[in-house]
This record gives sequence, C-alpha cells and structure tokens, in this order.
Amino acid sequence: MKGQGLLKGLYITLKRAVGKDITIQYPEQMPYLQDRFRGCLHFDYTKCIVCGLCTKACPNNVLSYESRQVEGSKKKELVSYTIDLQYCLFCNLCVEACPTNTLYFTHDFELSRYQRDQIKIVYEIPKEEPSAVKVDLKGDAPEPDETKKEKQLAAMTAALQKNPQKTVRKMVENDEDAEILAGILLEDEQKLSRMAALMIADREKAKKVAVAFVNKEKKDRLKGGGAEDESK
Amino acid sequence: MEHFFLNIAHSLIVWLMGLGLSSKGADLVLLIVQWICIVAIVTINVIVLIWLERKVAGFMQQRLGPNRLGPAGMFQTIADAIKLLTKEDIIPSAADRIIFRTAPIFFIIIAVMLYVVLPMGDGMQIVDLNVGVFYFISVASLSTICLLMAGWGSNNKWSLLGAMRSVAQMISYEIPLAFSLLGVIMIAGSLSLSDIVAAQNNIWFIILQPVAFITFFIAATAELNRGPFDMPEAEQELTAGAYTEYTGMRWALFFLAEYTNLVAVSALASTMFLGGWHGPWLPSWIWIIIKTYLVMLIFMWMKWTFPRIRMDHLMSFSWKVLIPVTLANILVTGAGIQFLAGMGW
Amino acid sequence: MLRTEQFTINIGPQHPSTHGGLHVEAVMDGEFIVDAIVHLGYVHRSVEKIAESRTYPQYVPYTSRLDYLASHLPTLGYCQAVEKMLGVAVPERAEYIRIIMAEFSRIASHLLFIGSCAIDLGATTGLIYCLRDRERIMDMFEMTSGQRLIASYMRIGGVSEDLPDTFIPAARSFIADFPEMIAEYDGLIIGNEILQARLKGVGRLNADDAIAYGVSGPNLRACGIDYDIRKAEPYGIYDRFDFTVPLAENGDSWDRLLVRMEEMQQSIHIIEQALNQLPEGEVKAKVPRIIKPAEGIEVYHRIESSKGELGYYIVADGGEKPYRLHVRAPSFINLMVLPMISKGGKLQDIIANIATLDPVLGESDR
Repeated sequence: MKGQGLLKGLYITLKRAVGKDITIQYPEQMPYLQDRFRGCLHFDYTKCIVCGLCTKACPNNVLSYESRQVEGSKKKELVSYTIDLQYCLFCNLCVEACPTNTLYFTHDFELSRYQRDQIKIVYEIPKEEPSAVKVDLKGDAPEPDETKKEKQLAAMTAALQKNPQKTVRKMVENDEDAEILAGILLEDEQKLSRMAALMIADREKAKKVAVAFVNKEKKDRLKGGGAEDESK
Repeated sequence: MEHFFLNIAHSLIVWLMGLGLSSKGADLVLLIVQWICIVAIVTINVIVLIWLERKVAGFMQQRLGPNRLGPAGMFQTIADAIKLLTKEDIIPSAADRIIFRTAPIFFIIIAVMLYVVLPMGDGMQIVDLNVGVFYFISVASLSTICLLMAGWGSNNKWSLLGAMRSVAQMISYEIPLAFSLLGVIMIAGSLSLSDIVAAQNNIWFIILQPVAFITFFIAATAELNRGPFDMPEAEQELTAGAYTEYTGMRWALFFLAEYTNLVAVSALASTMFLGGWHGPWLPSWIWIIIKTYLVMLIFMWMKWTFPRIRMDHLMSFSWKVLIPVTLANILVTGAGIQFLAGMGW
Repeated sequence: MLRTEQFTINIGPQHPSTHGGLHVEAVMDGEFIVDAIVHLGYVHRSVEKIAESRTYPQYVPYTSRLDYLASHLPTLGYCQAVEKMLGVAVPERAEYIRIIMAEFSRIASHLLFIGSCAIDLGATTGLIYCLRDRERIMDMFEMTSGQRLIASYMRIGGVSEDLPDTFIPAARSFIADFPEMIAEYDGLIIGNEILQARLKGVGRLNADDAIAYGVSGPNLRACGIDYDIRKAEPYGIYDRFDFTVPLAENGDSWDRLLVRMEEMQQSIHIIEQALNQLPEGEVKAKVPRIIKPAEGIEVYHRIESSKGELGYYIVADGGEKPYRLHVRAPSFINLMVLPMISKGGKLQDIIANIATLDPVLGESDR
C-alpha cells in the first residue's frame, strides 16, 4: 500500500529519537584513538643518527635538518631538525624509513595554530650541552618560566664576558668578525646584556644585530683610519 | 487558574474605567495590550521552537542537539538571534530595494494577524469572528505574496525560482486545505472558531473526520513550506530559495514568520480537530498549548524524516489526489449529516 | 500569450549539493533543464604532474587523495600498476588484506553515496545514519593504517603494516551488524515512496550511450551491462572469490541506487570469504628502496573502483620518478553523461542525477 514506506521511515526515526545518542562531546570527552593513529609528528633527538633517510622518503619536503661533521671523526652531528607540519601528508613514509624509530606519530591531533609560521616545529640542539634538548615549539608551547629565563640570561652573559669570541662565533661569518664583535661587547656592557638577551630569545635577530654591529664598527674603523691618514 | 488571564483582562478594564476611560477606550487599550502579548508570545515561542526543532532533529539523528549554552542549550537561539542582529545588512545592488525591504515585514505582520481569531482558551479570543475559519485561510494565503516579493525583489534567479514555486504550491494547496476544513464546518454548522470548539464538547472532530484531518495535515505542511514540501526554500536545490539574498535580521524575520505560521496552523489544527481547549483537569489554555505543541512535534518529525517531494509530483498530488479526496469527504459528510438527521439525531 | 525566456543558472561551484567543486551551467526554461554544461577544474591539484616530481613510493599518499571517499582503492590501483612494472610478487597475506581493505572502502564509499543521495533529495536524517555506520569502517581503517580518511596504507609490494589484533573482531562484528544497517536504510531511504517517485525514470541512461561515453562501474551496470573488472579481468586475487555482479535494467537514478545497495552486500560477501581464508605470513615483499623501472616500460593497470574503472597509465624513463602518469578517473568520465541524462528533466532531477552518478571531484579534476 502507498504510504507504508513513509510510516516505516517515521517509525525508524522515532525509534532512534528515543534511543541512545552516538556523539562524543569532543572538547570535554576525547575521542578514542587507535594505537596506530597518526596525529602530530614528533622527533626524538637522542636516537637520530643523521642518516637522512626521512628527508629522502618525505614526498613533500616537510622534514629538513642541519648537521655538522664531528671533529676528528666521520660521524655527523645534528644541529637542528625542522618539521614543517603544514605540508605534512601524514603518510607515515618517514616513520617507516627511519631505522632507529627517531620519528614517531603521537596521538595529539589538535594541530591548529593561529599563525601560519607557528605550525613549524624546530628542534634545536645547543652546542654546549648536547644532552639537553631544546624544543623550540613556537605557538602555544609553554613559555619557560621567569626564573629559567633569568638563569639562561645570566649564563649567557657570563659566557660572553668570559669567552666572547667563541660564544659569538656562530653569529657572524668569520673569526675576524667574531673578534671585532667580542671587542665591541666587552667595551659596552649595555650592548653585551642586550646581545645576551637576544641570543636567548631570537637567534636570527641576534645574528642580524651582530652583523650590524660588526659592519658599523668596520665602517667606523675605516673612517677613523682615513681621518688618521689625512691628519698625517 | 482557569480564568487567570480573563481575570487579568477584566481587572484591567475595571481599572481603566475607574480612571475615567469610556468602555470603548478601555477596550482599545485592552486590544493594544493583547497585541503586545501576542507579539511576545510569538517571539518566545519561536525561541523555544527553534531550540525544540534542533533538539528533535538531533535526537532523531542520534545527536544531542544544542547543549552548550544554558540548560540543555536553551539559550542557543538567543545567542543566534544576537548574532543575526549584529550582522551586516546586505542589500544586493540590483535588488528592488523597496520590495526587498518590505517583504519580511509584511510576512511577519501577516503571520501575527492569524492570531486574532485563534481561541487560546475558554473565552480567550481577541475577536470571535463569525467567519473565523474563512478569515484564517484568507489571511494565511497572503503570505505567498510576501515570498513572491522576496523572490522578485532579490533579483536573483534562485530566489525567483523559489518564489514561483511557492506561488504555485500555495495556490494548489489552498484548495484542499479549505476543503478539508469544510467537513468540520458542516458538522459544527458554523465558521466561528469558538462555535467549532464548543461543538467538540462531546467528541473530537478527528474521530468524525479522520480523512479530513489527514488531508488538512498534508495541505498545511505545504502551506507552511515545511519539509517534505519546503519548495520555496529547498536548500539542496535552490541554496536558500526565496531567502538566498537575505542576511541578518531580515532573514531572521522570515524565520520568525515561518515559525509563527507554524504555531498558528498547529493551533488551528488542534482547534478544528483535536477539541480545542477541551480537556479534563487542566485549565483550557494549558490544553491548547499541549495540543499545539504535539501537532508541531509531528510536523518536525515529518520534516526530519522525509525527502523533498518533486515539484510536479507536488502539483499532481494536490490536484489529482488531495482535492478529489477532500471533495469526496465533503460529499460523504453531507450525506451522513442528512442521513443522521433523517434518523432523527 | 506571455513571452517566456530561457535563463542560465549556475549550479555550483558553491552549491549545497554539488559534492565539492562541481559547476553545472544549466540553461533553464522555468523549472525545466534545456541544456547543461559541466565545468570542471575547481578541485584541480595537478596530481598527475606531481607524480613527475615524486619517486614511485613517494607518490602513494597522493593517490589516496584522488578518490578520498574510498581511499584504499586508488592506492591499490597505483601500487598494483607499479608492481606490474617491476614484476614484484605480493605476499599472500598482503593480497588478502588488500582485498579486505578495498572492499571495505567500496562499502564506505557506497554508504556515503546513499547518505548523500538522501540528503540531496532533502532527507537529512538518512545521511546521518549512513555516516554513523561508515564511521565503523573508518575506525577499522584507523586501526590498520592510523588514518581514517586518507589512509595511504598500501605500499608497493604489499601493505605498510600487518593487521592489528583488534581488526578481525571489528570486521566480523561489522559484517554481523550489516543486515541490520541495510534494513534501516531500506526502511528510511530506499523504501520511502517520495524518494522512489523522485528517482524512478529520472536521468535515464541507455546502454548504448553508456558504452559510447565510456561510463563504467555501478552506473554502467545500472544500464544492464554485465561488466565488472573484478570479473572481466581479475586483478590481485579476485578470481578466488565467489560473488555476483549486481545488474539493473533501466539505467535510471533509481537503478543506480539499487545497484550500489546490492554491491555492498556482495562486498560484504567477499570480505567474509577473505577473512576466512586469510593466511599467515609476510605483508610486504622485498622491494628495493629506490625503484627504478627500466626505460621505456609502459604500463596500464585498471581496477574496479567504487566509482568505476580506475586506470593508471605510467611511463618510466629509467629514473626514480615516472616520466608520465595518467589517471583514468571514472568520476570524470561518468560526469560527462550528466548533460545528456538531465536534458528535459527538472531542476530537482539534475540534483538527483548528480547525486546518483556519484562523482568525486577530487578524482575527476585530479
């Protein structure tokens, strides 16, 4: 009879209306994730042997790293490792390629960020203490607390005062520049403290400032030299 | 409790007369108060109804529906209304501005006008017209013009298609709607809604006129532009039909009017077929609220279950099925009345 | 007599029921479609060109993104095409896992088809029920591959990981519950008279036209042509399974819906057999890390995807990367009949036709 199908449909929706709901109240109640779920890609610094297989396996140039030769050996050492998650396909190819399980997926799937550059994960390994991994997770990563910051600043200032040339070596192009910069910093305490703060907070900016300092000094020297010549 | 609202009205009139107003003046003030009450009832009803519709849809789809704001998500609609109020009011540059702007206003005015004749309880009727049913049907059919205005004024092809659909649909479904009410009117012997309610003192007309109730229900769904007959809106086909170009509060006014119509037609259905304010124990005005909401729940249930009917099927269903059935129902009713009268009932 | 005018209306690319970025330019006479022109390319991501700059294994995740509603199927096709180039034999267990995954993908795709068909016709609740059941398949994909939608689980030479212990019970319970689900769709969607009236006789495609246009998959079988690549040219181990190819007669929208309903049952039947026969062993063949097919090798491999014949044509130039890769996308070719079957119908029919042709724009635009 016509209309039977309609009544049956009504019966089904009624049955479901009084039945149990299937939704998960997401922010309060986290969804059940399977073991193999691929959320955020993570990197374990201690295991990396700098073989480069992950970057070769990656289809979309998500992974990149900076390495240097360990002095007096063939081994390579990691300087920094970057995961640019915005291009990640979550395809698992890098994890499969990695021989030492350095890369792995966590169950963290809340990867949204407010700014585009915040989604980049950079793992930086400070030269002084290779064991202490500094994870520079930009975005809403927990900010280091004030005391920690102060400690870092104090340590950096001390390092600059003690051995300025070596400390600033990485900021500039060559040893000569480093020497010049060290001289400037030792002369001016204000500049030194500013440099120390910058080196902790923002390495890129510190580099720029350092280069600017060196260039200015060079210019001044040239000028000064010229003036001296003239006076002679 | 039974005469709660009547007593308020009575004391208001007494108070006004005491202030020195003539009885006509007091009536006028009472009328204004009643109008304000209706608008308030309509607005509150819409807020509750949108919440209810979402909840019903959610439950049918095994979801929870809104549950973030307020108890059980009750304030979600208020938040939405605030959002709509603060939205930018966009009028398309090619739109017919006067028609575009006035369409939603007329739509809501017409929807509120329906409440004049509805008995909301024993003796609780603003005007007891002796042609109440006729008034209701004729005013309800005016809303077509507003949809046509919206569709034409928007200067958008989707809107115009929606508007044309709504005109075709309303014209076709006015007739079965009126015809299915005729059976009830014949039995009650009056066009006045209060008389019809009084005639159901012993037996509800849904029992005497089951076919008429079903045809009325179908025709009313089409009249209300609700699924499965939501041709003018038809989200999956016409994006938003006649409302495509409307934003913010203008768009919200259409929604307000649609829900107002829904309440009015549901109240009419309960008045005509479900015994109106008759019912044991509870005050009459509570009974009519219960019945109206029950009818509305059935409307929602249907909307969230059925797919949309096709335009030509809609037309042929009205002209080839509903109208013959309603005509036959009138014939049978008339014959029955004559037969029973002959039997001496 | 009033003068009437034809007008053009753009259905999409922003429209609720165009399944992504489809744009149909419809010439209308009132509610009637006089002519329809399909415009494609809104979801064009140059997937074929990307292949030329990726190595063979690197391209696997991109294939998942072709038909994202049945993501195992395009990946399977690509992997088998490369295996054909290399002459790699896939381990038995991997073959079975692939079949199970492919058929679950087909069911997932068809479930979404039925749901989207329902919502395109205005029945919102139908979609939710289909999605609810599809979610169980997605959970199974998450178990095996770690990703729900775009799994990229297949690898050249097998699959990436073995099935977890939880998979087989989950699959079996899905199979056990399947008749109940079908009964619900039958009651709510298929059995609904309004829906039947909207689909029967609408968008009729006759067999000759279907062949001439190169229509494939369930859309072709709805016209009554018994052609299923799983039977006609069995790839993988499909020749070991017992299943029938569901056919219909009229080629209208209703038949396209029914054929898919029946196909899901057959897929369940195949999965049952595969689960019973599932052998132990390796899941990935020894494939060199760097794949370099010899210069001049050309291969065309086709599989029966949920949308139709999905083919990969790969040309190697002796390097790590393909010289050229072409995807024969069934959605693209199936969409080409849309103007023909929609002409003379109503606006609501064209929506039903788009829904029942089941295009995936990611695949058709590539």
